[in-house]
Amino acid sequence: MLRRTFTFGTAALCGALLAGTAMAQDMRAPEGPIEFTVGSGAGGSPDVIMRTYAQIMAEQGIVPNAIVVQNRSGGGHSNAYNHVLGLPGDETTLLTLASPVFTTPIVQGTPSVIDQITPIALLAESELVLLTTPDSPLNSLQDVVAAATEAPGRVRVAGGSSGGNDHILTGLLETASGTTLTYIPHESGSAGRATFLGGNVELHFATLSEALELITSGTGKPLAIFSEERRPEEAFANVATAREQGVDVVYTQFWGVGGPAGLDPAVAAWWADKFAKAAESPQFQEWLDANLYRANMLTLGDAGTYFADGQQTFRDVLTRIGLAK
Amino acid sequence: MIDQLLLGFATALEPQNLLFILLGVLLGQIVGALPGLGPSAGMALLLPLTFGLEPVTAVMMLAGIMYGGQYGGTLTSVLIAVPGEASGVMTAVDGNAMARQGRAGAALSISAIGSFLAGIGAVTAVALLAPPLASFGLKFNAPEYFLLALLGVLAIGSLGGSPIKSLAAAVLGLMIALIGVDPLTGTPRLSFDQPLLMKGIDFIPVVIGVFGIAEVLASLERIESVKPIRTRLRDMWLTSNDWAVCRLSIVRGGVIGLFVGIMPGAGASIASLLAYLTERKFSRSPETFGKGAIDGVAAAESANNAASHGAAIPMLSLGIPGSASTAILLAALILHGIRPGPQLMTQESALVWGLIASMFVGNVFLLILNLPLAPVFAALLRIPYVYLAPSILGISLVGAYAATLDISTVWMSLVFGLLGYAMIKFGIPRPPLVLALVLASLMETSLRQALLLSFGSPMIFLERPISALLLCAVALAIVLPVLTAIRQRRFAERMKRGAR
Repeated sequence: MLRRTFTFGTAALCGALLAGTAMAQDMRAPEGPIEFTVGSGAGGSPDVIMRTYAQIMAEQGIVPNAIVVQNRSGGGHSNAYNHVLGLPGDETTLLTLASPVFTTPIVQGTPSVIDQITPIALLAESELVLLTTPDSPLNSLQDVVAAATEAPGRVRVAGGSSGGNDHILTGLLETASGTTLTYIPHESGSAGRATFLGGNVELHFATLSEALELITSGTGKPLAIFSEERRPEEAFANVATAREQGVDVVYTQFWGVGGPAGLDPAVAAWWADKFAKAAESPQFQEWLDANLYRANMLTLGDAGTYFADGQQTFRDVLTRIGLAK
Repeated sequence: MIDQLLLGFATALEPQNLLFILLGVLLGQIVGALPGLGPSAGMALLLPLTFGLEPVTAVMMLAGIMYGGQYGGTLTSVLIAVPGEASGVMTAVDGNAMARQGRAGAALSISAIGSFLAGIGAVTAVALLAPPLASFGLKFNAPEYFLLALLGVLAIGSLGGSPIKSLAAAVLGLMIALIGVDPLTGTPRLSFDQPLLMKGIDFIPVVIGVFGIAEVLASLERIESVKPIRTRLRDMWLTSNDWAVCRLSIVRGGVIGLFVGIMPGAGASIASLLAYLTERKFSRSPETFGKGAIDGVAAAESANNAASHGAAIPMLSLGIPGSASTAILLAALILHGIRPGPQLMTQESALVWGLIASMFVGNVFLLILNLPLAPVFAALLRIPYVYLAPSILGISLVGAYAATLDISTVWMSLVFGLLGYAMIKFGIPRPPLVLALVLASLMETSLRQALLLSFGSPMIFLERPISALLLCAVALAIVLPVLTAIRQRRFAERMKRGAR
């Protein structure tokens, strides 16, 4: 334990020195304790990601301020984003960006959150895999397309929540293949997984780490992955991309972070630097690998462009499936 | 398996782990007792503190908060009739009625004993039968959940008092639950474009208002005449008669709780309601239910603790959390670099068996903690009501704020306090409103999911075996009371004619 503290101490010192040199650019540290506002309950993916960052920032001494991860769950993340939108210029509160922050305003017809906040960083990405039940006659994405063409709406997807990533992906799949699927929303991703495991539906979308568990335990059969290229891991090496199977859909789930409207650019730059440092740490890389997530560290303006593109995709799909208000 | 369990005990009994189990159950007891701040909120608050610990120690402590909360929730339910969680509503009715009769100690003791026995039984089931029980739990899905919730709502009408008034209160609860966003499409409904209403109305401000605040308001009118409850020491303990009445209630409650607990979509509140209603059918004195039935308290409290342990089954063998608390346990595993899923029990067997063993240990701690303290807590009611009332109000409002960290929840609980006060004045029972509010979202979501699964055909309720059985139960629940009423009326008429 003593040894561990010692290593952290040295790391902190190095971090401080690095930060010192970087300070020369236009950066300013916020003062006082920091709140990472999360719109999901404790245990949801956005929550786990923010807690991981907070832990690494504290342990490695990247951020000297105390960080609290605060769950303001409910209302499709609106409790969380309304809290942050209500604090323009505040330097001690950051908003976690997950798909509901993009989709809830579109579905409820309220002003976009992404257009108002100050983008800081893209934190992690996750590819999605399409699974079916182990004894299903479906063996590829083409089989799914054939089945859905033959009997429109008769192929069912057990999903997380309405307007969630898997719902958007279902919509993209329908558009690209010209078919109709039945998406069944649940209270959470894991509730949807229970419906899938109970053999009640044909299809289910899972992140790589969830899919890995289902594939290796023989409770799910992979049909397609929605990334540019195949994954190298043994369990996924034979899983063809949707493009390879003639369906032109590439989609990644992502999480990001932003500050309130009107955040001082120097503070935003400081945070972008800190998130980038935490993401480079071996501890974070290890965590990414364990969860089969991908780092694609974009900060500030680049992250803003990425978020705006993401918002456009959400808006297009939600408009097409009739959920946009 | 026995070897693995013994190894688990070896881990759980290490001094450091013992200490953290004790810390976990103590914290659980405290957060469970505070209305608004349930075990899941407590676990989320303490999650960062577990980062420096070994994963197994961390989950042992967090799990301790989870089931410790079920013991703690009993305290406020019995003493001030404010349930800390939805699973404590029945205890708030009968347990608090017992407290008013000077038997708070007995209510707390039987809750502790029932929770302990049912908890130990449920952990044994987790240890011996987790994989088969988990696949059984998966047989329950949307159609079955809908019928279970429907059964609950129908039974609310028969909770006691006037069935019409009970059903009216239940319908009001269902209507309140509709406010907010449509759970399946995410679009706002009945929100009149008010951001406050768009979030939906949560259970916590309603229960705090309707139970806690309303009770204080109603008692203000007679504050001069409210005497502190004088309890004699011998009323504090369980009598041998109490024990004889409750033995089987604990078994029935525990079994129901375990089975509801293993269903990933149901939860402790349905478990305690179903156990309470079942118990009334078995009870030798069903007329006391709602007025301080000790067997009702025993069944409901055994069921909610068994359910909270039973939820560990889908969590450990499938990686699917059945409750908000188990979702946080899974998050703790992910944060410690362990991937939960169907292979957890084989790949991380030391951790899983350590956790299971720690649940045995933690329940023993909780029993030791709660039994001797039951009379002490019960003695709190000796405090004159003039002092007690402001404290109840304070705890209620702080609880409402703590639940969401949003002042609007406090306003909302005050509004529901006025509603609850009006209900007391008009003699409308309050538990049906709260229970219907809890069941509504499950009922609505699962009905719509079931019909999506069947492409709109209602035959899905008949085609699935478990669902068909539940449908028969629903039919009986509707037909039987009507038949009984007709038979009683005929009997009464015949008696009248005979008397002439």
